[in-house]
Amino acid sequence: MRVIANHSLCQGHARCEDLCPEVFATDAIEGKVVIVQEDVPATLEDKVRLAVRNCPEGALRVARSGPAEDAA
Amino acid sequence: MTLLFQPSPPDHGPADRMVDFDMFHIPEGVSDPAEIWHDLVSRGVPDIFYTPHNGGHWVFLRYEDIVDAYRDHTVFSTYQTPVPPIEPFPVVQPQGVDPPAHNVFRRLLAPMFTPTAVRGMMDELERRAAVLIDGFAANGSCDFITDFAERYPTGTFLYLFGLPEERLDEFLALANTFFRSTDPAARAQNIGEIYAELDQLFREKESNPGNDIATQIVSARDENGAQYAWEDILNCGFLLFVAGLDTVTNTMAYIWRYLATTPAAQKHFRDRLDDPDGFLRGIEELMRINAVSNLFRRVTHDCEYRGVQLRHNDRVVLPNTVANRDPRVFKAPQVIDLDREVNVHLTFGVGPHRCIGSVLAKREVMVSLQQWLRRIPEFSLADEQPAGSMFGGSVMGFTALRLQWEVAAKRAAS
Repeated sequence: MRVIANHSLCQGHARCEDLCPEVFATDAIEGKVVIVQEDVPATLEDKVRLAVRNCPEGALRVARSGPAEDAA
Repeated sequence: MTLLFQPSPPDHGPADRMVDFDMFHIPEGVSDPAEIWHDLVSRGVPDIFYTPHNGGHWVFLRYEDIVDAYRDHTVFSTYQTPVPPIEPFPVVQPQGVDPPAHNVFRRLLAPMFTPTAVRGMMDELERRAAVLIDGFAANGSCDFITDFAERYPTGTFLYLFGLPEERLDEFLALANTFFRSTDPAARAQNIGEIYAELDQLFREKESNPGNDIATQIVSARDENGAQYAWEDILNCGFLLFVAGLDTVTNTMAYIWRYLATTPAAQKHFRDRLDDPDGFLRGIEELMRINAVSNLFRRVTHDCEYRGVQLRHNDRVVLPNTVANRDPRVFKAPQVIDLDREVNVHLTFGVGPHRCIGSVLAKREVMVSLQQWLRRIPEFSLADEQPAGSMFGGSVMGFTALRLQWEVAAKRAAS
């Protein structure tokens, strides 16, 4: 599983970082999401799905593992 | 007085969307100012309605519509929005400015409130909470508002702005007049006093910089290397003063009031003092259920929204507390589930004006509750509560909240 962030939607709530800091961080300038590891280890998949569902801006989505694609 | 942004008289609202609703009036017998909003939903009033009170304004009740209003600044502006309309009203930077101009000051302030920045404040936030609670823990009672919920965020403001602790009472008085006074002359004078304080503060920080937010604002430079306009610097200071005090105070008031009447919830958090993830999940739910802010927007041009004719300068009020219990979005919305897993509450808004201090605010609440539970046993509401101690409006809350708990018999002095 991969996780993709849309930075034009992210407003820096940091809910994802709270819920799964192993995969999500935030930058120190705007506080927007930084994906620490795009390919999510199987052990963290549930936590990442929860973080995606808790993003108030709908700025995160999961995709199947595979070649990188642009997140718009 | 002629208003520059005069709302239209409500002749354009269809009769079936008219509701007699005064957001500032809490009728007798109501024990929680948020009830008047939830009552609208249980009465089945239209999702989008117009009330003639307070200068006339629309109210959106659906989560989805409130989100639209937060996101689309081309229709729903934050510039000059007070309800009832007051002008001139300070242009709080960046909250009262629409994108793209808003982005300049948003970018300036954002680094001061990122999770990275807030992590650096945690020790001081914990220390401050502990000191305040230690001041009354042995008494077995306190007025939670005046002894803690007002002092804590105001003290945090002093800390962030590099102001000395002894000015706490002075800033508390300024804040209380700003938030509670209904006398227009007193309010105008008070706003003048706050600006005079900020002016003096920023001048001091300019000549004598410190490691604080006031210094960062005053020493920031635009793309040409010049200082930002002095008025904007003051307006940034004003935003941080007004946005981070009353909201935090009353969110805490609501939360402690709920905990005082719900021993099982106290136990839930007490059992999670060593489980920060579980603790925070509970805090998010308390944030959802205790959303104290009702936000204002001003319509930028005549247009139709969901089949409703809006007019230029119409005010729209967005009650987060209603959005946060929308059954179309939340599973069992009326149930307070401290382990709720999916919780996209709107307590901090969404879109470009998302509360810039949301991470800090949440940590203030979390740290306060942790320090409280480490020092104070099970607590409850005192039998006597002062009458008339609640208020509605853009921030809802309480001016007094007496709590009590048992104190272990004092050890022999020897």
